[in-house]
Amino acid sequence: MTPPVKIGMISMAHGHAHAYMEALLAMPQADIAGIAHPSRDEVADVLARTGIPYYADYRELLQTDIDAVVICSENALHARHTIDAAMAGKHILCEKPLGIEVGEMTRMIDACREGGVQLMTAFPCRYLTAAEEARQAILRGEIGEILAFKGTNRGTFPGSWFADSARSGGGALLDHSVHVLDLLHWMMPGAAVREVYAYAANRFQPEHEIDDAGMLHVTFDNGACGVIDTSWSRPRTFPTWGDVTLEIVGSAGVLSLDAFAQHNEVYSDAAGKGAYAYWGDGMDELMVRAFVDAVRSGRPVPITGADGLHAARAALAGYDSVRSGQPVRLA
Amino acid sequence: MKIAIVGCGGMGHIHAAAYARMTHVRIVGVCDVDPIRAAELGERIGAPSYTDYGQLLAAEAPELVSLTVPSHLHLAYIEQTAAHGAHIVCEKPLALTVADAEAALAVCAKHGVRLFVGHVVRFFPDYAGLKHAVDGGRIGTPGVAHLRRVGGYPERQWFAEEAKSGGVITDLMIHDIDYARWTLGPVRSVYCLRRTAAGLDYALATLVFASGAVANLESHWGYPGSFRTAAEFAGDGGVVRLDSAASAALHMRKTPPKRTDACARTGEGPAPAAADAAPAPAAAEIPRSPLRKSPYARELEHFVDCLRLGGAPLVTATDALQALRVAEAAHQSARTGRAVYLSSEEGERL
Ligand SMILES: NC(=O)c1ccc[n+]([C@@H]2O[C@H](COP(=O)([O-])OP(=O)(O)OC[C@H]3O[C@@H](n4cnc5c(N)ncnc54)[C@H](O)[C@@H]3O)[C@@H](O)[C@H]2O)c1
Repeated sequence: MTPPVKIGMISMAHGHAHAYMEALLAMPQADIAGIAHPSRDEVADVLARTGIPYYADYRELLQTDIDAVVICSENALHARHTIDAAMAGKHILCEKPLGIEVGEMTRMIDACREGGVQLMTAFPCRYLTAAEEARQAILRGEIGEILAFKGTNRGTFPGSWFADSARSGGGALLDHSVHVLDLLHWMMPGAAVREVYAYAANRFQPEHEIDDAGMLHVTFDNGACGVIDTSWSRPRTFPTWGDVTLEIVGSAGVLSLDAFAQHNEVYSDAAGKGAYAYWGDGMDELMVRAFVDAVRSGRPVPITGADGLHAARAALAGYDSVRSGQPVRLA
Repeated sequence: MKIAIVGCGGMGHIHAAAYARMTHVRIVGVCDVDPIRAAELGERIGAPSYTDYGQLLAAEAPELVSLTVPSHLHLAYIEQTAAHGAHIVCEKPLALTVADAEAALAVCAKHGVRLFVGHVVRFFPDYAGLKHAVDGGRIGTPGVAHLRRVGGYPERQWFAEEAKSGGVITDLMIHDIDYARWTLGPVRSVYCLRRTAAGLDYALATLVFASGAVANLESHWGYPGSFRTAAEFAGDGGVVRLDSAASAALHMRKTPPKRTDACARTGEGPAPAAADAAPAPAAAEIPRSPLRKSPYARELEHFVDCLRLGGAPLVTATDALQALRVAEAAHQSARTGRAVYLSSEEGERL
């Protein structure tokens, strides 16, 4: 039996880091060999609970014999962390969005190729069981040719560095459009975004400067076109954090995906509001497992850096559209 | 008040049924180019039927006329009715173009008759309630809204002709355009994507408002499910939403006719059908959201009250004209692929 894959966590800045870490801890095929995070205080609880070694400097972690890294740093640091990891010969699972600028994402992909390591973009929505079924139905031709779509990936204001565009690269339009963009890209093999039109504004968190309301229209080169609401628009009293929905209009039918519809409704006086308790399959676990399996077996990762670039480029072009007030064509 | 109805199709029947239950009004005549349709509705409500509108006007001298003819005929009937001196209730859309809508307002002003337009969504209690919540500050400052209206492709042939109905944007989305303007104010820009195919007309329009709020409107003819509308408004203090499918208070689910073979009784998966067994008919399901007084009746009663008591209507002919400006911009955007910025005329109402 091959030994477990040794993994280093580079930064716990993005909340998803905790979900990925839990998934790795539960897997006998993986060992977490270290957590690098600039502030020890911020990860003290995790270190105490798990006993995982701490590194103040991620470059020291990269010098160890780990096989792979999971990067959940602030978006603006993805490029530096990925390129350094690639040069150190470590495979990479990088949180979305892959980067905050097209040129740096290209350099990330190049560095991984040159370093002979794999780069996977974290798009857990591909591991939603209902999304997988939707894709299969589409590929079987059940709803005919895809003509149009409307999606939402709305959420609650994430606060902290997400609200600082120097570190996040953008607000809701970037943070929340890439998931649904990637689902569409994945469900329509070979198709890529050709044109985008977007509106973004600050509507929900007036004390912050970041865009938190976003509407992104996309047209793919196969003619399919639609819109995605990316807003951080769920209030504190909403029964859940947000949603991922996608309705796809085909020439022979309509498919409606509501990714977190598998929930119970919980009304608790103690919580002061009603809440949805999700009971569907855990997408983070399945995604992390797929990464570990690819590293162990040497097979290609299921979601590439190019996939990450495709989605982030469309989202970033959305900001160009917001500035010009007109649709923007992708090169 | 003496009422006439022109156009004895789907909406003509709905208007007739609503007037028939009202006090203060009496239907004095109905008219349709199709003599069978005219006679059928005339008989149902006990009023004389005509195939020539001029004859109806001359013989019955109605004071208020409901125009429920196909949309491309609205302007011609408005002109004829106004010249006769009768007030008008015109079904939405007021006309198919801004120019025709302006002509409709002008001719009514010239002859001193009032023009009411059937933007009935304002009279749906769920939509009225949603606006009330927004106006009452329940969601804080509105930021992002969604409006959805999906249903089967219209059966009557004239709807399929863009020159007669205006397609899904001018015929169906116009409801949500008016509602969005009513709730969020003047529109600054429109970007619209539209896909059409045989039996399908689908449009997605993003409206940016002068306030900075944004709404996406989805309209679908050819949706393979029962007619459904939904709305959601999110603000910096909350979210309010409605969904006609979720508020259907009554569902009738009819047991399909009994099969004779004993296998059909368990309900656990497909019955092990005999080779010659006919496929079981699908169970019919009819969702209903019944009200003592339909939104159409509320709307027409309100218009009659405006005439009798002299009040301002909840929705004006100018509102209907402004909705058409936005619809026309949506058409233009879908055609050119560009966002369309509305002229000062819409912006002026800030
Ligand atoms: N408010 C709503 O919810 C709503 C719903 C449906 C339709 N509408 C509007 O109502 C209007 C009528 O639509 P409908 O669904 O009742 O259509 P319909 O086809 O059912 O009825 C139209 C009727 O007009 C008659 N007609 C055609 N040409 C005529 C003419 N030259 N003179 C007199 N009669 C003529 C037809 O024979 C038919 O009986 C349209 O403007 C439509 O957009 C509104």
